[in-house]
Amino acid sequence: MKCEEFEAIGLDAGRDASLTAAQRAASSEHAARCSRCAALRDSWEAARAELSVLAEDTATVEAPARVEMRLRQQFRTEHRTFNARRTAVIAAWALAAAAVLVGAVTWVKWHEGHPGATATHLPAPQSASISHAIEPDRNTAGSEKPVQNATVARHRGAARHAGSEALVADNGLSGFTLLPGVFPADTEYGEILRVRMQRGALESFGLPVNEERAGEWIQVDLLVGDDGLPQAVRLSR
Amino acid sequence: MSIADQDRDDLLLRRAGKGDEEAFTHLYRRHQAALYRFALRMTGSAWAAEEIVQDVFMTLMRDPKKYDATRGTLGGFLYGVTRNRVLKHLERRPREISLEEKNEDGTGSGVILMEPSTPATQAEKRERVEQVRSAVLDLPAEFREAIVLCEFEEQSYEEAAQIIGCPIGTIRSRLHRGRALLMARLEMLREPRPRMSAAK
Repeated sequence: MKCEEFEAIGLDAGRDASLTAAQRAASSEHAARCSRCAALRDSWEAARAELSVLAEDTATVEAPARVEMRLRQQFRTEHRTFNARRTAVIAAWALAAAAVLVGAVTWVKWHEGHPGATATHLPAPQSASISHAIEPDRNTAGSEKPVQNATVARHRGAARHAGSEALVADNGLSGFTLLPGVFPADTEYGEILRVRMQRGALESFGLPVNEERAGEWIQVDLLVGDDGLPQAVRLSR
Repeated sequence: MSIADQDRDDLLLRRAGKGDEEAFTHLYRRHQAALYRFALRMTGSAWAAEEIVQDVFMTLMRDPKKYDATRGTLGGFLYGVTRNRVLKHLERRPREISLEEKNEDGTGSGVILMEPSTPATQAEKRERVEQVRSAVLDLPAEFREAIVLCEFEEQSYEEAAQIIGCPIGTIRSRLHRGRALLMARLEMLREPRPRMSAAK
């Protein structure tokens, strides 16, 4: 071993675990032969002894207790803030979910009550201010049954009867003809009655009838007012 | 749930991350002394060492995920963070010596020696300790940290290399150069001072 190598690894050969046994033996042998390196090692040992005194001097020192106190206080503050923030986020998400749920339920309920509402809107009546519609009874359409089998659907005002037949948007609402002497305002709250009659019977409402076809059976929608009297008439399709 | 001494650091850290103050306190008590001593020996200032230790644990408290258990021990990680803080401190205020720790003659750290002895020997020993402390603080930071870790903290070369983040050969080289500087400085301090009366 040369002096340069000894200076690099020989001074701490006893502690350096990365050195091999051969290197340690070589450094000891070199120190025994070289007086300069032996003096260097002694000098370092003396310095190390002084370092160890300094190390002992500060061996038992610790951070002051106030550091721990400050850190614990900060820890509580940090985690209290974190928990509060987490609670707020959870609450906000819960509220948003509840709002979405309520909206969805409302939408479903509304659609159950208004099938096909998204298809069309009810057109304004032409001959009278009628705002209600019924679906024509398809079972009786074209049949020859008398009036007592007529399908009667009621719809009063803006309210929907829970047990009534399903209402649909019916563009056949138009076509009611006010009977003579009836004002349009009188037809606002009426009932629609579907009947089968001979065409000639329309004459009794004051309507003109073609004499040649007076014997024909026709299906007629009558708009009956609150007083039980027909207000308007419409030939059913 | 109580905390046993043998509880692993990473488990304690996980619990601390979930808000367990007891776990955090236990971690602090387990590591603070070594970190404080390292910072004190590197900076020579009790005030700076206190600030650094507090800063290190504040970092651990706010971002515990910075520690990766697969890359080493928590102690090594904390040493590394402390070292970075120390180097920043040294860059800002090189060779800072806390004034309130000085004795009237400009020496002394305020640290009380534990060994009972006569006032004369105590004073002599304290003076010598201060000379050594001064010599260590005069070393460049990279040599000083190698000396402090390997001689004062009694870390192995491997541990020191891991803390500093360099190969073992670099540690050995820095120790070699640091020792040479330190021995020269101590030798100079050992020489008898010329008496003022003799000069007159």
